[in-house]
Amino acid sequence: MPEPTPHTFDIFREEGQLSFPGKKEEYRFGPVEPSPCTNACPAGVNVKAYVSLMAAGKFGAALDVIRERNPLPGICGRVCTHPCEAACNRNVVDQPVAVRWLKRFAADYELAHPGEPPAKIETTRQEKVAVIGAGPSGLTAANDLVRRGFDVTVFEALPEAGGMLIAGIPAYRLPRKILSAEIDYLTNLGIKIETGTKIEGEKAIDELFKQGFEAIYLAIGAHKGKKLNIKGEGRYRGILDAVAFLNQVNFSASEKPGDKVIVIGGGNSAVDSARTALRLGSSEVHIVYRRTRQEMPADEEEIDEAEKEGVKIHYLAAPVEIVGKKGRVTGMTCQKMELGEPDESGRRRPVPIPDSEYLVEADCIIPAISQEPEIEFGLSDVKLSRWNTLVADEDTMATDRPGVFAGGDAVTGPSTVIDAIAHGHRAADSILHYLTGQPLENPVPPQMLPEAEIKIDLDQRSQIARAGMPAMEVQQRLGNFDEVEFGFDEATAIAEAQRCLRCGPCAECEECVSLCDKQPAMLTVDGHTGEYLCRVPDNLRSLVNSESSLTANLKIGKKKIDVILQSLQPRVAANICRGCGECVSVCDYGALELIASSGDLQISQLDPEKCRACGICVSACPNGAMLPGFIDDAWLNSKLDRMATGATNLVVFSCRWNGSSLHSDELAQIRTDKVNLNLIQTICGGRIEPGFVLKALAAGASGVLLTACDDESCHYGVGARRVRESFDEIRSLVHILGTDPQRIGFAAIPDGDSVKFIQTIADFAQSLNNNGGK
Amino acid sequence: MHEELYAAVQQTNALACLECGKCTSVCPVSRFSQEYSPRLMLNQAVKQDFDTLFADYDLWSCLTCQRCDQVCPSAISYIELTQTLRNNTDSSRFKGQCSHSGVLETLQKMMTTRDLRQNRLDWVGNELDISTDTGEILYFVGCAPYFDSFFTNLELSTLDAAISSIKILNHLGIKPVLLPQERCCGHDLYWNGDMDNFKMLAEHNLEMIAKTGCKTILFSCAECQSAFQNLYVENGFKVPWKLQHLSQFLAEQVESGKLELAPVAKPVTFQDPCRLGRHLSEYDAPRQVLKSNGGDNLVEMKQHGKGALCCGVSAWMNCDGTTRKIQNERLDQAYATGAETMAVACPKCHIHLQCTQQHAGDDGPKIEIRDIATITLERIG
Repeated sequence: MPEPTPHTFDIFREEGQLSFPGKKEEYRFGPVEPSPCTNACPAGVNVKAYVSLMAAGKFGAALDVIRERNPLPGICGRVCTHPCEAACNRNVVDQPVAVRWLKRFAADYELAHPGEPPAKIETTRQEKVAVIGAGPSGLTAANDLVRRGFDVTVFEALPEAGGMLIAGIPAYRLPRKILSAEIDYLTNLGIKIETGTKIEGEKAIDELFKQGFEAIYLAIGAHKGKKLNIKGEGRYRGILDAVAFLNQVNFSASEKPGDKVIVIGGGNSAVDSARTALRLGSSEVHIVYRRTRQEMPADEEEIDEAEKEGVKIHYLAAPVEIVGKKGRVTGMTCQKMELGEPDESGRRRPVPIPDSEYLVEADCIIPAISQEPEIEFGLSDVKLSRWNTLVADEDTMATDRPGVFAGGDAVTGPSTVIDAIAHGHRAADSILHYLTGQPLENPVPPQMLPEAEIKIDLDQRSQIARAGMPAMEVQQRLGNFDEVEFGFDEATAIAEAQRCLRCGPCAECEECVSLCDKQPAMLTVDGHTGEYLCRVPDNLRSLVNSESSLTANLKIGKKKIDVILQSLQPRVAANICRGCGECVSVCDYGALELIASSGDLQISQLDPEKCRACGICVSACPNGAMLPGFIDDAWLNSKLDRMATGATNLVVFSCRWNGSSLHSDELAQIRTDKVNLNLIQTICGGRIEPGFVLKALAAGASGVLLTACDDESCHYGVGARRVRESFDEIRSLVHILGTDPQRIGFAAIPDGDSVKFIQTIADFAQSLNNNGGK
Repeated sequence: MHEELYAAVQQTNALACLECGKCTSVCPVSRFSQEYSPRLMLNQAVKQDFDTLFADYDLWSCLTCQRCDQVCPSAISYIELTQTLRNNTDSSRFKGQCSHSGVLETLQKMMTTRDLRQNRLDWVGNELDISTDTGEILYFVGCAPYFDSFFTNLELSTLDAAISSIKILNHLGIKPVLLPQERCCGHDLYWNGDMDNFKMLAEHNLEMIAKTGCKTILFSCAECQSAFQNLYVENGFKVPWKLQHLSQFLAEQVESGKLELAPVAKPVTFQDPCRLGRHLSEYDAPRQVLKSNGGDNLVEMKQHGKGALCCGVSAWMNCDGTTRKIQNERLDQAYATGAETMAVACPKCHIHLQCTQQHAGDDGPKIEIRDIATITLERIG
């Protein structure tokens, strides 16, 4: 589906309000729909934004975007279950963009090119907050609250911070230096972490309040392994639950748990335990899992790697009895299963096959079936569920005890890092509201829509192979805990980021916002005052559409900006429209219909409520009857009124997508005393009419360059083709007129390839100079 | 400014308006667009309500086809009044919308440059015998080379008319002069109210033509001819040559026996261009050519001659829904004759009617639209 304009100052991404001089009413607006990847991220990381920035080689800016919603980029870049990739529209074309590995690259890039550590954030508020547990959820909440000026102390029972990240995830997946670097970053910001401090005792919660903490976030994780409840359990030595096993390995030098090991379960802990046992020297490692590989909750990559390393996975097998001799485990009887009807989780329920028992020999059994919180303090009024997890409101994370909030695995049972981070955000928001006396309803509107609604036209996209992750040879992995995956190099990261289809409103890189901060009165583009082109909030559409431009005062949080609003919605030029219906057939929002004009003829009519200003109709109209909201002769003339004497006047008409993620500084290398560059961006390259080129020449341009996205990446399907066709016409016209056709150039540039975009402009300017400028 | 406009009101005889409404009743635009009324526009002009007129889109709707002037009992020149008003709008006012993003209008303006080095005769092949400096007869090509490069999506070649015309002239032993740096005649800019650029184009053309020593200028384009014959003269330029539409020249040649033509093979109907017909009062010559040596095959449309229906657009302005209706009506009239060919005598009629017929899709009736010169060339033995 075509998407709204890129590189616009998309001020309506956040909540805010607008007021208009001379008008009483204020207009509130909410956040816009995110792209599928961003929508899928439980923590609300703006995935598309940082992928866009990485495609432009801006790794630092990308990391800043990630850190806004995820304080642990290097960790999540390694171990996140990446729901963003599952939602990626590229799944339909080939394979999803390797978002997780891109995030890892951005984080690793900073480690490899260290700058100044972040400045400590000033504590601006009186209230103290206690966070129990320095895992991902606790650290996220602490980070959010410190950034809001609170004094936050994190209490951690284990000797090092990280929670399950350090206790449960082996170092070959998550090197400790990465973990400690990210925790250092957070402590540098001002988060206090007291490790080795267990919160225990019947009155622990009351004690914390007595110590002056005004809000408490219980993010204690789920570190206690659940029982198998089968025969033989508890009778023999050699049974060790996964978390305890991994904890042991991670905190102290370890021996192999046994020579022949059976791990029970299908989650990441099971796979981690199995791969860890192999590394410690176990000669045979089995995983026993009740269902099939399809249902296995562990990451597919992890299962692949485990199998490569030699782990034997028994699918459709359930433990029946642990057997042993002389008090020591000697094996386990398993029963074969088959899949029956789906259960309440939607997965098909495993059903035992009668008389199918078989024995697997082993001297160690590691149950990894699930964990629950280990609660060693009095709950006071906090409730416990029947699964022994803490009960908290799923939106606000509030427990029944005022001022006490809970989240992460302690509430959900064992879940993912990214879900824990999401809870941390919600808890921090609620604590802010609790401490400032505001109601506790979820302060952030739910980030996730039932399903990502943004679809794009995928038929035209060609397959580009997803970058593979370079990894250590299998033979070299055993006997050590060195990181298995090596990470991308810079070129691979950029190429992989450029696979992004950039669904959704604009590239969201926010480069324009940083520009705007420098010039709060008016957005300045390319050194010249430019117009704000914005998607208009629903309740403002009719107002903005009824006037060509509106001055308004914009308020987002504490930020106040004067803006000029211009509608991007196209207008149907009733005098030009011939009622052919082309626009109706291409509009994916159903915003256009043919209405009777008079007699048996029809003209097209736009419904401003439905129109999303994507511009596809503008490109598709064969007659030029769809006029973009801001493009008319006056607009063009104002743009062309910038010819210099004694210089090469280069006019570039470009698709806005070509220039997205483009920073004005990057054009400086082209703009010299000799080259007067005038960059004129249209919604889609297809909107560049032959008349624009002629008018530019008539206005004194030495050369005119047209750029559009190539056929592959055109967001509107027809843009590149249209501009190429008009290019041929216009060249033959100027030839007859006696003008050198070389003065007109055309280039198809993949969407967002700002490097090629700038190079193309520079090359064209050079060719004009070689031809004598005029 | 209003004084100048009021002078135009007086000069065009508008004060004599009887408000009889004949103009509106014959106007092709009014017929399909209920809002538009020449009588109301005149009424506002007489009341000197110029601000209302300038704010009105309809100031740009008039096709200047002259149908109204023809029936006016008070001999008012409504189209001249329209032109004067258009010429007096300032840039902040609504202007007529030039189709195709103003390509043709911009080309016309760019041709006012004095030292232009056009490649506008690339299409002249070796089979055509022409001169580019001096000669008795000058053939004024018009903008066909540009049209053919731009309207690549239309199944037509307006240069065919030029090539056919030259072949016919060569057949008659005439080696016509063609101007390598010919400019747009300025017709469109004049009717768009752009007098300055119109005059510059006229000057360039007249200066170049004077150097050729020609005595006669032939036109395939009725608009070019009307520009020379009417507009140049009315605006004080000297035009000391015999000016003829190719069809007028051909009619003379047939009449004098110098040109013998086979009968028209298939039934044909004729689209009178407004400029050749009502503007220059020539209705007979093209028909004489088409009828020569057996005229049974010429069939007339319901509206023809003085009452002919315009092709729907003038000066590339405001090609719109009303335009389409006028053109469809005209094509329907042509289909109703049963003719297989529609002869045209102006490239604009050719382009506009071809465009509408082509966009109607493949299902409806079709008529072959051809310039009278190409039809005539085929009839030479």
